[in-house]
Amino acid sequence: MKVRVDQERCQGHTLCAMIAPEMFQLSDIDGSSSAVTEVVPSDQEDLVREAAHSCPEQAILIEED
Amino acid sequence: MSVDDTTADDERKQPRYHFDRHTSDYRMRFEKITEEMQEKCPIAWSDTYGGHWVAASSEAVFELARCPHVSNDHDLRGERRGYKGISIPTAQRISATRGGMLEMDDPEHRWYRNLLNPYLSPAAVKRWEPFIDEVVRAALDEKIEEGRIDFVDDLANVVPAVLTLAMLGIPLKRWEMYSEPTHAAVYTPEHSPDAARVAEQHKQMGLDLVNSMLEIRENPRPGLVNALLNMRIDGEPAPDLEIMGMLGLVIGGGFDTTTALTAHSLEWLSQHPDQRDRLSRERDILLDPATEEFLRFFTPAPGDGRTFSDEVDLEGHHFNEGERLWISWAMANRDPSVFHDPNQVLLDRKGNRHFSFGIGVHRCIGSNVARTVFKSMVTAVLDRMPDYQCDPEGTVHYDTIGVIQGMRHLPATFTPGRPTGPGLDETLDKLQRICDEQELARPITERKEAAKID
Repeated sequence: MKVRVDQERCQGHTLCAMIAPEMFQLSDIDGSSSAVTEVVPSDQEDLVREAAHSCPEQAILIEED
Repeated sequence: MSVDDTTADDERKQPRYHFDRHTSDYRMRFEKITEEMQEKCPIAWSDTYGGHWVAASSEAVFELARCPHVSNDHDLRGERRGYKGISIPTAQRISATRGGMLEMDDPEHRWYRNLLNPYLSPAAVKRWEPFIDEVVRAALDEKIEEGRIDFVDDLANVVPAVLTLAMLGIPLKRWEMYSEPTHAAVYTPEHSPDAARVAEQHKQMGLDLVNSMLEIRENPRPGLVNALLNMRIDGEPAPDLEIMGMLGLVIGGGFDTTTALTAHSLEWLSQHPDQRDRLSRERDILLDPATEEFLRFFTPAPGDGRTFSDEVDLEGHHFNEGERLWISWAMANRDPSVFHDPNQVLLDRKGNRHFSFGIGVHRCIGSNVARTVFKSMVTAVLDRMPDYQCDPEGTVHYDTIGVIQGMRHLPATFTPGRPTGPGLDETLDKLQRICDEQELARPITERKEAAKID
């Protein structure tokens, strides 16, 4: 699985970091999110899926393999 | 306009729905109205308040809130296109200033947001946690031996006000001068006999804000006021009226909303003691999702007005430039196509992509403050008065929920305990000293450490 945060859409709601704190890091300045790694470790896949479903801006893009 | 134009326009402004948020009927029938609109007319025209569109479904709200041809602008002096900002109807009272960056479009909105972000980001707010916890402790300690508390008057009104003043750089002991009129302005209808008194209190608060601005200009101290005074746009300072508007937004946006969320949640937990126990026991995994669920269900800021800045076509509707639109976060939050069992509070709800802080570039900049302050208050209540029982007789909800879905009073009784520290006044003196010494109100770019409370 691969994950990416669309920076145009992200508005810093921070739900992704609440749900999958190891996969999403937030900017100190404005709380916008970026994926820690593009390739998702298998034990994080469910959390990343949940994070994507929980993003109010639908800004998290997942590529399932 | 010719008869033909009128007829064509009537045909376009369909379906029609009589939508009036400013009635107690709307509050009482909110779930039914939501179901009806989502089923029959997720986008509808209402002739109320001069006529406006209403977006009631999650899909319509999602698209319209992000649409670049939908404007937040409030053109007070008719210098642009005469748009009326985010209030429907246009608020009479607050006509000297517009509502800060919430009533601006980009690029103007972006300048102010960029300025304030380093004060309100998740990392910035995290530094304040010990400070927040200490205010909560003192507020509860005032009442802990009595066995009686009003969660609105004694807790939920206090903490957001004190923190906001700290972040602004205004002396903490003035919190009541800000808290009272801010709440009263929301729940007092314009035609009420109290309206004049509330307007006067509001004016006093406004004067204090202006004086604070002058003071901080003379003798700078860190915080949001200082940031706004030092802001430069192409070398020019921000206009004073815009600074006042921004301060009004931070205060208005931050006080009543957090209070509303906390009060409703504490009331709900009292009505569902088994869920309350569960939340307390499992807070490590439940507190975050429960917070989001309370936000979704109670949507303190139920919606915002907009103006179409161009012709727009969406979902079979054609909107004309200049037409007004009400975007309902509250109704979108109950859309079964996104939230299963939407009218149930499910503390561990998944996929909770709620609309309560708005969608798009105007996402509430105070969202991290709201969550942090809410969690601090609720966990302290769960720890120190776990058996509290709210008293329905003394509970007062806002009669109408058109502006904020709030509460005026939430009295409760509980098994008394012992104070663990000094009372509120003494604590505020101590926190003022700490705030000043540690310069807590600096932005995250200048200060990274958490507050140290002795």
